[in-house]
Amino acid sequence: MNRRQLLSLLGISPALLATPAAEADRKKKEAPSSAGEGKLTAVSPKGTPPPIQLYSMAPRASSLDGKTIYVVDATSFLGSATLLHKMQAWFQQNMPSVKTVFRTKAGIYGADDPKLWAEIKANAYACIMAIGH
Amino acid sequence: MEKMGVPAIPMCTQAYTELAKLTAARDGMPHLRQVFTPHPVGGKTDAELAAYLVNPDPVSGIQIMKEIVDDLTKPLTADETKTGLQTMAAGPATFGPDTVDNLQEIFMNNGMTDYMPIVIPTEEKVQAMLKATSHKPDEVLRTPVQGVGYTSARWGYTVRQVAVNAVMAGCRPEYFPVVLAMASLGPLGLFGSTTSSSTAIVINGPIRDKLNMNYTLGALSPFAQANATIGRSWTLMGKNLTNGGIPGDTYQGGQGNQLDYNNCLIAEDEKNSPWPPFHVQLGFKPEESVVSIFGGPDLRQGHGARGAGAEIAMFDQQISFMCQSLVGGSGALAILDPLVAKRLVDQGYDTKEKLSEWVFKNTQRTVKDFKESFLASFHLYPLALEGREPYASWYKLPDDAMIPFFVSAKQINFVVCGGQANAFFQIANMNHGRSASIDKWM
Repeated sequence: MNRRQLLSLLGISPALLATPAAEADRKKKEAPSSAGEGKLTAVSPKGTPPPIQLYSMAPRASSLDGKTIYVVDATSFLGSATLLHKMQAWFQQNMPSVKTVFRTKAGIYGADDPKLWAEIKANAYACIMAIGH
Repeated sequence: MEKMGVPAIPMCTQAYTELAKLTAARDGMPHLRQVFTPHPVGGKTDAELAAYLVNPDPVSGIQIMKEIVDDLTKPLTADETKTGLQTMAAGPATFGPDTVDNLQEIFMNNGMTDYMPIVIPTEEKVQAMLKATSHKPDEVLRTPVQGVGYTSARWGYTVRQVAVNAVMAGCRPEYFPVVLAMASLGPLGLFGSTTSSSTAIVINGPIRDKLNMNYTLGALSPFAQANATIGRSWTLMGKNLTNGGIPGDTYQGGQGNQLDYNNCLIAEDEKNSPWPPFHVQLGFKPEESVVSIFGGPDLRQGHGARGAGAEIAMFDQQISFMCQSLVGGSGALAILDPLVAKRLVDQGYDTKEKLSEWVFKNTQRTVKDFKESFLASFHLYPLALEGREPYASWYKLPDDAMIPFFVSAKQINFVVCGGQANAFFQIANMNHGRSASIDKWM
């Protein structure tokens, strides 16, 4: 059994019994070499973000009178369809000239639904989308 | 819709304010007009939901229906009509010179660690890591992508950037090909779903012995450097390479997941398993080294078999019993001690595939249970409406009809590891996602 194994069995770290000379040698070996005394320069671990293409928002009309608005349940999370039906009722009561159309987006919450987007583009002035939870 | 020229108001609950604003900004409309309701919408009565609409938006303070009407009719501001390409920076290329303690603080305070000390990634250490692969440092593993979708799918990274994270995780250079193979499989760790889903990483082939990986006693515990640091690197890569793991932004896991610290790294015990290893099931050669990524919500322990005292312990029944409490949309990865695997062979399962098939056929539930399960209403019912099988057929059955818990036997996988101290097993509620050769990254 060597000295390291013996110390280990006694529950003592060999480093604690190291001589001052051995300790100084250990510290020298571990001394940083990148920059300056006792200082290091670290490299960034970050990946590369993509650039962002900015888009203009759609022009607004000055009034909703006579307009059609689609209300879209985009995720089918619990309660979202009910919330949108309540919104349709609000328009009916408070802005009766606004026509609302309810639709559920096809597919799971992250899936695209180009057919529905085309329908909205063709038929509506605007849409309101319930996205989640 | 705004890009198509149609005014659009996205509505979500207050809990997702930051995420909604950041998502709009990343999609090119930083000033998108959004409306927020109180959280949650689910579980509220009709009257409560109606009241949401006439009460103030908790973010803007404006009554919600008034806000919607205003947002659809107010003229656009100059900021709202801006176009062009906006470059993004990931921060400084280096940090310091500074002391080790200060650099630890800088890395931690800037969200670049898992809040445990890291190995400071000096240029020397990164260079040493890069020497362990024949691939060039500037080789692109993933190209940055513009457009919509999860942030983790948009950021790009190179071999060198992966090396920095491998150093931070405490990997030795000889582990680097494994980390590169994992990085080639993105999206990386800390996926960010509200379900707090995490990862299991399975390593097969000769690399396990070359790196002294532990696949025997305490295989899933912190008893080997390669197991510990390679598993950790998956999370650090998710945070740093793809901007994941930012609570409220790219991370929405409600409770989080302890598995994220090590990602349940499993080296399969191919010597003591009675069956071919997982990578061979996938079509790789036994002498190839392969990493496989599984994803799903949790890991749970199965304490022994059913039928205690029986001449042949019924591990198949216990596995099936446990599977009935899993989230059905996710599969099952059963991690079997070699003792369990050998007893399953005694039961007649001379291949993993036979066992998968038995569990698939014998793990069932009623249509009513399925319809009332968490995932069914918002995740699977839309697929049924599209005619996707088996969901479309399941939704046409009567409520008391019995249907399989899983979609296919291929969702039920088995790997073997453990010290044969007791005939125990664990089940990760996870699907197999992707696998990659490690050898090609040497």
